Amino acid sequence: MTDGTVIHRPDPRRAEASRMASFQRLCEERTGRRFASWPEFHRWSVECFRDFWRLFLEWADPAVEGDRHPVCQGDDIETAAFFPGLRLNHAWNLLRPLPGQEEATALVARDETGRRVDWTRRHLRERVAEVALALRARGIGPGDRVVAIARNDEAAVLASLAATALGAVWSSIGPDQGLDAVLSRFRQLDPVALFAAGHRFYQGQRIDLLPLLREVVPALPTLRAVLSLDDSDLGGLAAGRLSDLGQGVDGGSFDWPLFPFSHPLYVMFSSGTTGAPKCIVHGAGGSLLEHLKEHRLHSDMGPGDRLLFTTSAGWMMWNWQVSALASGTTVIAYDGSPTWPGPDALWRVVAEEGVTVFGTSPAFLQFCRESGLEPGRTLDLSALRAIQSTGSVLHGDLYPWVREAVGDLPLQSISGGTDILGCFVLGNPMLPVVEGRSQCVSLAMDVRSLKPEGAPEDGVGELVCGNPFPSRPVGFHGDPGGARFHAAYFAQNPGWWTHGDFLRLFPDGSAAVLGRSDGVMNIRGVRIGPAEIYGILRDFQEIRQAMALEQQAPEEPGGTRLVLLVQMQPDRDLDRPLVLRIKRELSRRASRVHVPAAVVAVPDLPVTHNGKVSEKAAREAIHGRQPANLQALRNPGCLELLRHHPELGGRFPQASGDAGAQGTHGDRSRR
Amino acid sequence: MDRTELRRRIIDWLDDQYHFGEAEQKIGGDDASFLDRGILDSLGFVALIVWLEDLLHLTIDRKNINRENFDSMNKILDYVQQRLAGGQA
Repeated sequence: MTDGTVIHRPDPRRAEASRMASFQRLCEERTGRRFASWPEFHRWSVECFRDFWRLFLEWADPAVEGDRHPVCQGDDIETAAFFPGLRLNHAWNLLRPLPGQEEATALVARDETGRRVDWTRRHLRERVAEVALALRARGIGPGDRVVAIARNDEAAVLASLAATALGAVWSSIGPDQGLDAVLSRFRQLDPVALFAAGHRFYQGQRIDLLPLLREVVPALPTLRAVLSLDDSDLGGLAAGRLSDLGQGVDGGSFDWPLFPFSHPLYVMFSSGTTGAPKCIVHGAGGSLLEHLKEHRLHSDMGPGDRLLFTTSAGWMMWNWQVSALASGTTVIAYDGSPTWPGPDALWRVVAEEGVTVFGTSPAFLQFCRESGLEPGRTLDLSALRAIQSTGSVLHGDLYPWVREAVGDLPLQSISGGTDILGCFVLGNPMLPVVEGRSQCVSLAMDVRSLKPEGAPEDGVGELVCGNPFPSRPVGFHGDPGGARFHAAYFAQNPGWWTHGDFLRLFPDGSAAVLGRSDGVMNIRGVRIGPAEIYGILRDFQEIRQAMALEQQAPEEPGGTRLVLLVQMQPDRDLDRPLVLRIKRELSRRASRVHVPAAVVAVPDLPVTHNGKVSEKAAREAIHGRQPANLQALRNPGCLELLRHHPELGGRFPQASGDAGAQGTHGDRSRR
Repeated sequence: MDRTELRRRIIDWLDDQYHFGEAEQKIGGDDASFLDRGILDSLGFVALIVWLEDLLHLTIDRKNINRENFDSMNKILDYVQQRLAGGQA
């Protein structure tokens, strides 16, 4: 999949006119250097990252006040602080007047029912100011946590901007999560306000969220306000509706207060292998600068562009999408099923809205290919100039499909994550697209593939980053000493950020992220921590112990599936009714993505000599590979069963090559 | 595979993938619409087709994935049986 086949080359004139080229020229002028190639420019941006960020701040010109020096205080990636002398209001940066943009559409919200809302930049800013004042009148202020169970619509964007305009910290999840998933996250934050949608739509059905909210609200005793994001009064739970908030208030009196560069902006969640989900706190200035860089330079977006990224309000791509307002780009928020009322529903929205940059996932592209869609032939996609894909590994096979069925566009595989609210690898308007690879590593990030000694230069290794970057999280909420934060990213390779992904880097500067390297699973683009599954399985008396693992989906190149190994209590069997009950409970209490594709009873799980269950050894075995350190296991014999189990092993070639590599199994695509 | 057995296999598949033991109850009759009753979404239909192709060693033209052929248990069974008997893809 990474044999170096170039599938798309940028138009040289367009590349020369790109924002990336413009910024590179500025850097050359200011430094007196000449960057003959992308790797040279990137190398400079890493080696002189302080110069890079100083020049980028000048070029991007965000609304900041204060001292621009120092650019970065400290050299330790774990503790370095960017622009400690600057102050800003994040929401103002997204909403401030831009030349010619006041009456232009800033935000479009559409859903599967056909509803369409269209707000200008001026209207959105005025409503944000009004709602911010109304929230302030309710006692909500800087540092308060405001949480939301939200659809991807204009209400969520408005509420988040109003909260963050006040300096409150926003944290949202999608409306398809179960009670355990909601409470395990929001309870940790002691939120003062909850914005909630009263219903959601999926595939033509209106699903009432009231039963969920009736359990959520009483379980969050710190709430001082519950507000409805839509026309529902939430069965009396809500004290008001967002649409009524701030009506009659003079939004012009809102002062858009300034906060320090690292003031908390968002809390994102990451579920791990043990314990409650981590509450990752992202700072305002770092998020803003990173997103400006990714949007303007790597995605070449600006006024006139229209971005639609398929996301829920619980995924970091939602925050990333909203930030595009800061570049004057119109955000198209789409809610509901991407394939309702027909399989090409989302492509129709892309065509009708004149989307210029369409963000999606490998799973969606795979679906389109399997459905035989040809949107480039059946719809007018003439405005579309790039497709971005993230969430999971983008298999090389999908690149030719996009070229044939959509058009000769750059298909940009972008990857990073919740942890950095941005990307380590992504697109570049000046570079060709090679099948199966991201075009480049993000500017000013010293991303490396950490490999065992003697491994080939372009071999697979652990994705690490070696220099400070602005969107490194501020820390974890509820982790005052930073011990959990340190353990999560810095303990494994001191002095480096260790991300938990496998990576290949190529001499031309392109890269391929090849899936998770740790126990965290990524199932069809959604990150799942096994700890959430184990928490629910504890209520099953029949099960003694369980292990949840990610496995390459044998029938889907590049795809992954969740498998669950269960060790039963001595007198219990894993029968079909129990399998279905396990799936039902995981779906109800967590989400559909938490439902395993296979549940398999095993007599034994691999255990190390000091008694620790080894997920790593089991993961190797179910992919037909021999774990590297068998001597560390007390019961290595149990791996044979996993390797040859008809529902797990046996279908993978023995000792396949790259960890996490694709293409080791049959390709079911036929058309 | 006869019609009864194929129906049972489809119910099992629906239970495994989407309804976790409640498929029989949710479909509400073999002529009821899968789309209208939320039995399958578009992604689910494609997954069902791929599964049927593997199970029955068939190739199903994606142009034929429509309500007329696949929107109820009986329509699916009719279509598949016609194909197995040598009808058009």
